[in-house]
Amino acid sequence: MHQIPVSYQRHSSQKHSSARQTNLKKIEKIWWASLLLVFILGMVSLVKGYLLEGMTSTNLSNVVPWGEWVAFYIYFIGMSAGSFLLSTLVYGFGMHQYERIGRSALLSAIVCMITAITFIFLDIGRPDHIFNSIIYWNVTSTMAWEIHFYILYIALLVVELYFSMRVDLVRLANSPTRFAKFYGFLTFGYRNISDEALQRDRKLLQILGIIGIPLAIFGVHGGTGSIFAVAKARPFLNTGLFPVIFILSALVSGTALSIAIYVAKNKVLKRPSDVTMVRSLGSLLVMFLSIELALEWYEFLIGWYGVKPEELATISTMAGSSWAWTFWLFQMGLAMFVPLILLFLPKTRKSITWIFVASILTIIGVVGVRFNMVVPMLIVPVMNGLPGGNYYPTVSEWITSFGLIAMCFLLYTIGEKLLPIDQYEVVRGEANDD
Amino acid sequence: MDIPKKVWDSLVEQQLEEGRAILDRVDYNTELGLAMAKGAQQVMKGVITSDQFYEKFKQAVEEEFGVTFQPVKESPKNPKSRAFGGKKWAMVIDLAKCVGCDTCTVSCKAENRTPPGVTYNVVIEDTVGTFPNVKNINLPRPCMQCDKPPCVQVCPVRASYKLENGIVAIDADRCIGCRYCQVACPYGSRYFDFGLSYEQEMTGYDAVQASEYGVAHGRRTPTKEPVGTVRKCTFCMHRLERGEEPACVETCIGDARYFGDLNDPNSIVSKLAASPRAFRLREELGTEPRVIYLK
Ligand code: SF4
Ligand code: SF4
Repeated sequence: MHQIPVSYQRHSSQKHSSARQTNLKKIEKIWWASLLLVFILGMVSLVKGYLLEGMTSTNLSNVVPWGEWVAFYIYFIGMSAGSFLLSTLVYGFGMHQYERIGRSALLSAIVCMITAITFIFLDIGRPDHIFNSIIYWNVTSTMAWEIHFYILYIALLVVELYFSMRVDLVRLANSPTRFAKFYGFLTFGYRNISDEALQRDRKLLQILGIIGIPLAIFGVHGGTGSIFAVAKARPFLNTGLFPVIFILSALVSGTALSIAIYVAKNKVLKRPSDVTMVRSLGSLLVMFLSIELALEWYEFLIGWYGVKPEELATISTMAGSSWAWTFWLFQMGLAMFVPLILLFLPKTRKSITWIFVASILTIIGVVGVRFNMVVPMLIVPVMNGLPGGNYYPTVSEWITSFGLIAMCFLLYTIGEKLLPIDQYEVVRGEANDD
Repeated sequence: MDIPKKVWDSLVEQQLEEGRAILDRVDYNTELGLAMAKGAQQVMKGVITSDQFYEKFKQAVEEEFGVTFQPVKESPKNPKSRAFGGKKWAMVIDLAKCVGCDTCTVSCKAENRTPPGVTYNVVIEDTVGTFPNVKNINLPRPCMQCDKPPCVQVCPVRASYKLENGIVAIDADRCIGCRYCQVACPYGSRYFDFGLSYEQEMTGYDAVQASEYGVAHGRRTPTKEPVGTVRKCTFCMHRLERGEEPACVETCIGDARYFGDLNDPNSIVSKLAASPRAFRLREELGTEPRVIYLK
């Protein structure tokens, strides 16, 4: 049936000239230094603001009790679920044309999940009570279900990444590298890489991938969407379409992230990207974007048509208040029409650079999408006559957020450095035999 | 001139009647009365326990008054088990009587010692209609103590729950402060305790906190519950347990608020709830509020 999908010929690196090598070292140094700097700044602001001043260091209020950290939490959850679903194309459905991004998508799914959980952990008022959320389970609470799904999901991701890398871990453990011991430990003693064993790995990956799909869609991301959608006090959220839009925008951001990571890495390492794969990912992105656009259209149309005062007020807060730029520039611009156009025009949709640009813009734009899922509906008072809200994150909130985003990048880079994530040399033809 | 404390004290003492003189006027044993008063003082100072106190005077009381002398049974510690003898509390607010003076808001703040930003009761004011047919309306809004409370439904840790007496309670020691309930409450009745304090304006504000739901939280510090958790109106459950009405009901200047047992068909709230003027807020959401308004 299958052949071992990977062929490892780690010789190309020797071909690099030494000048390129030093240049690369420099880029890497700058990368680490800047990330560390932002991360440390973030931690300082975290200690100074969150730990010493508590929730008063944020601009949250009793009218707008959720803000930037919740927005970033769903942002990273979406990114994680999207990346994971993309990886299931490889491991669940055997679409080996995407093999090269499989592990990196899994790693980014894990890292984004860790970041998301860190954000929401910061957001709760009593971090010291956090274990209550595992001990006491309210079955009617979508949030309680989510907390348990997240744990399951992270476990599944880690197991899946392990089995996808196992063959390389074993090889590295048997090779004379400095870290052979470390890799030996990471194989957890399972070092059989005979054809049958790898075949079994494949089967397992397939099963995990397939289990993971409903888990990611209904459990993790649709579920996170449901946290918002079940709030009948907020008519703007309280629609059946909301969780679906959540899933779509997760697929959008996850695909964009995978493209961005793949192309960026190749650009830095000065190696050519797999054009067919990037284009095909680009068309996936366009497809997800179009579906999302259609769903959003109906969401707004029906909300607006229903002339419910709260709903109209939320839409006008979003699209016509002083926050409107987040909607028009980020949500509709960067995360919707700009990439749609870039990926539609014949000239740009074939160019790797433009696809890359479209992905980066999408990733940035989705931040606006997430903010607009959280803030506008809270700014509108829940009952006519109660005070309306206002929210703009404080400097402390911003710096902490940037620190955590830097943490996400750091974790990903460490993962890439330590683990055999990079699959540049995977030969597509060989992988594509079934 | 510095007046010694003695002088002030003596002024008070002149006014005070001698305890013995008071006790002499009744038929019962004066010495016993004095001894018991001393005993009670000792209990308060912690010199003896109240059990010892009862033990000490048991026989004497029985001989003198012919009754058994025993401690009043304390209500059980677990607030959930306090079923209030099948009572289901409800509040009726007569909007025709409400003048929008905010006395309820203030008395609630004083009673529950709520910090800045936490206001269990607010009075929403609005002007409706077009000139010349305009009307100022007021809507006092406590927690509705919904029978189908969305806040309880969404709480991930069951820190919010419905008591058998109809009140929706929050366990601050369990609440993780996720504020989901705040987003889910259709009446805006829940408030996050950001840890602010009136200590600057009011000396001793931090010294003690109201013991809501009968749980004493002691001194207010930035790290101790209920700081960092969500709070809301409790129908003054600690007052109900003493047989008192909620503070807002007691202080309402227009007598616009009524409080009582909706399980008792003869109670005043049951009768008012049956009035054609009665309505509840946002009834279409199916939350079944226990606060009933009269148009
Ligand atoms: S009014 Fe709000 S806080 Fe009170 S019980 Fe109803 S949903 Fe819960
Ligand atoms: S803030 Fe507390 S009471 Fe409210 S939903 Fe979260 S854990 Fe429950």
